[in-house]
Amino acid sequence: MKKNVNDIINSLGGTGKLANLLGVNPSAVSNYRQKGFPARLHLKIAMLCEERSVQISNDVLEGATVPKIIKTNPKEYLSGTSLSIVKHLSTDGFNLIDPPVMVSADKVLDRMGENLADRLFILSDQEGLRLCLRPDLTIPTCLYYLDQGFIGEKKLYSYFGKVFQLRLDNSSGPSEYSQAGLEYIGKQDQLAAEIEIFYKVESSLRREGLKSYHTFMGDVSLFSIFLDVMDLPDLWRKKLKAKYWNESDFKALLEDLSFKKSVDNELARRVFSLDRESAADLVRRSLGMSFEEAPVGRSVEEIMERLRQKGEEFSLQPLSKVTVNLIKDFLSISDKPFKALDRLRSISKNLDSSLLRQIDIAKERLEKIKELGVNLDKSQFSSEKGREVEYYTGFLFDFVNSQKGKSIHLGGGGRYDNLIRSMGSKTDIPAVGAAVNMENLEKALSLRSLQ
Amino acid sequence: MKAITIALPSKGRIQEDMNKFLNSAGISIIRDGDQRTYTGHIKEFEDIKIRFLSANEIAMELLAGNVQLGITGLDLISELDNKISKEVIILSKLGFSKADVVVAIPNSWIDVSSTQDLAEVTRDFLHIHGRRLRVATKFEKLTRNFFNKKGINNYRIVESTGATEGSPSAGTSELIVDITSSGKTLEANNLRVLNDGVILKSEACIFASKSLNWDKFNLNPVEKLLRTISARSEAINKVEMLFEYLSYDDSLELDLFRKFNGIFSGGTPNLGDAVSLITPEKKSSSCSQYLTSKGYGPIRINRPNLIYFNIDSAWQKLKTEIDL
Repeated sequence: MKKNVNDIINSLGGTGKLANLLGVNPSAVSNYRQKGFPARLHLKIAMLCEERSVQISNDVLEGATVPKIIKTNPKEYLSGTSLSIVKHLSTDGFNLIDPPVMVSADKVLDRMGENLADRLFILSDQEGLRLCLRPDLTIPTCLYYLDQGFIGEKKLYSYFGKVFQLRLDNSSGPSEYSQAGLEYIGKQDQLAAEIEIFYKVESSLRREGLKSYHTFMGDVSLFSIFLDVMDLPDLWRKKLKAKYWNESDFKALLEDLSFKKSVDNELARRVFSLDRESAADLVRRSLGMSFEEAPVGRSVEEIMERLRQKGEEFSLQPLSKVTVNLIKDFLSISDKPFKALDRLRSISKNLDSSLLRQIDIAKERLEKIKELGVNLDKSQFSSEKGREVEYYTGFLFDFVNSQKGKSIHLGGGGRYDNLIRSMGSKTDIPAVGAAVNMENLEKALSLRSLQ
Repeated sequence: MKAITIALPSKGRIQEDMNKFLNSAGISIIRDGDQRTYTGHIKEFEDIKIRFLSANEIAMELLAGNVQLGITGLDLISELDNKISKEVIILSKLGFSKADVVVAIPNSWIDVSSTQDLAEVTRDFLHIHGRRLRVATKFEKLTRNFFNKKGINNYRIVESTGATEGSPSAGTSELIVDITSSGKTLEANNLRVLNDGVILKSEACIFASKSLNWDKFNLNPVEKLLRTISARSEAINKVEMLFEYLSYDDSLELDLFRKFNGIFSGGTPNLGDAVSLITPEKKSSSCSQYLTSKGYGPIRINRPNLIYFNIDSAWQKLKTEIDL
């Protein structure tokens, strides 16, 4: 039990760390050591203490305790399948949290990209701040993690709640549905974390008595490493990676790179023939700009670098047929998981060992999942899974139930190591998570019981 | 039977252009009471009521089914809603208030000329600056659809309802999507349209709402109104060339059509007929040179005010859409 201000500050990580958490200057925290915490911070500090299991005596914060009422516990009002799934997911240290329903629309759009804005319910508060109803539970969970100031610390969360996405297809289906899921954020043994998340969700479905479902797996990092180790000009590697997320654009790019380019941009050719400093001068002269001036929004150097790239394109040899075919072959693999990985390995046997190592890790992941008793007979591994949405950064999976020719998406997840950074963290923080679509699970269960 | 209501723009350039258009068509707008009222009627078609609204409101009232017909810009209708194509139909393009919705970037971005370039720059920008490029616009939906189609995803929209062209130099965005007719404002603000950056070619159109039951309305004046409006829009920027048809020449009719979009208003003529050829105004000079070089002349060029067709496509379209 912490009785005085100094003890509390120390157990919350010391002056600097607490200043960070509270968003104040360290000198202010030093002040608190002398004069006590100001009343406006009592609730916040009580919450920080509770979150970190720091016991405090009532009088330090003048009786401020975290109001239990805002922490509704889903377990208290759930029943049936939902309760049983949530109970299962919130074991093994996965703390059940209840993240906010409304989140910053800008943070969500920073993450998801503007193209998804049509699917958000956007509202604004009195001060004109744009909020939206959470479109999933991953984003508010990660925001919660960030807000708590855990920079890279390991935290395990489970959650249950409604998420909201506008339907664009005019159908009258619901725009809200329930998700139950998990996040493994921060310091982790990557493989172990992925297996734990996968297994917890898989076993929660199995526990409900669902036996027949397909598992579709992939690993986005494999193709990325594949491109890294291929003998390609850097520029084309970069272009291929950028276009990977759109299948038809990627196809068009492969086609395009198979032909020698003719020079149609004289400035780009000249910029490429110069060293960077003279090239920047040339760009400045073409713009009629002095050293003090800069183009709108970008620097002269940025524009010069892109012109250099354009110039470089004309000097590069086209992609060989062998290379193009190897890329196509790599992406065409879709098979039973072990077989698929063996085929990837044999295609890659002449490439750098870092790729082979990554394929072996994928194989080890599968083996460990199998050892846990997961039946992989109805599973499939595809080398291009995950390319429809630029979201996952590594392993990913989906569970799909098929009954009477209808397929129902039960849930899925994967690794997104850049997610928290895209919402405001200064560094990448590893994260892997997964969620179950509760309505679809209930539908699958009721269809099964009809049979 | 109830009277039809048509919504007309109450202000701005589109209102001025429309007044000229309707005047030339011989349609007179009467305001109920003084100039400040927002209701009125059409003198020639007494059963048609008018509501004067902003061009933007017209789009929304059509979608809601609160007015049966409306004249407004295609850009505003396209921006309004994804289901608009089902609820609001274009009866006819009217040929005035023409303007393009375009993607415009700072002139100084000399490495960027196409949307393909822009897609690459948005990606690099996120990487270098740690945030997404900002696009200032009031056309959020049009922008999203277009950028999505062009494979551009690393951007953020900044809502801008006025003086959008000034946004990049003011530092509140890097590029814009805006509507432009002459391009002069863009130029003055050091902006330039991407080569393939035209999102929509807009002009004033007459629209009908499908979000209502048309059965209870009196449609007689609607047919007359649509015919007159179509006749005027057909005549805009067209000239009529009158000359004597000298010799039978198979290729002449084809040539006139292919080279000058010219159409004989009375169908294929007979030898010695005085014929009337309708062509776009901008082709009139080259077309008359072609004709004189073939020995035709004298050629008299008139500017038609109205061109009526026996079948009016706007009226046909309305009948089909509302199952008449």
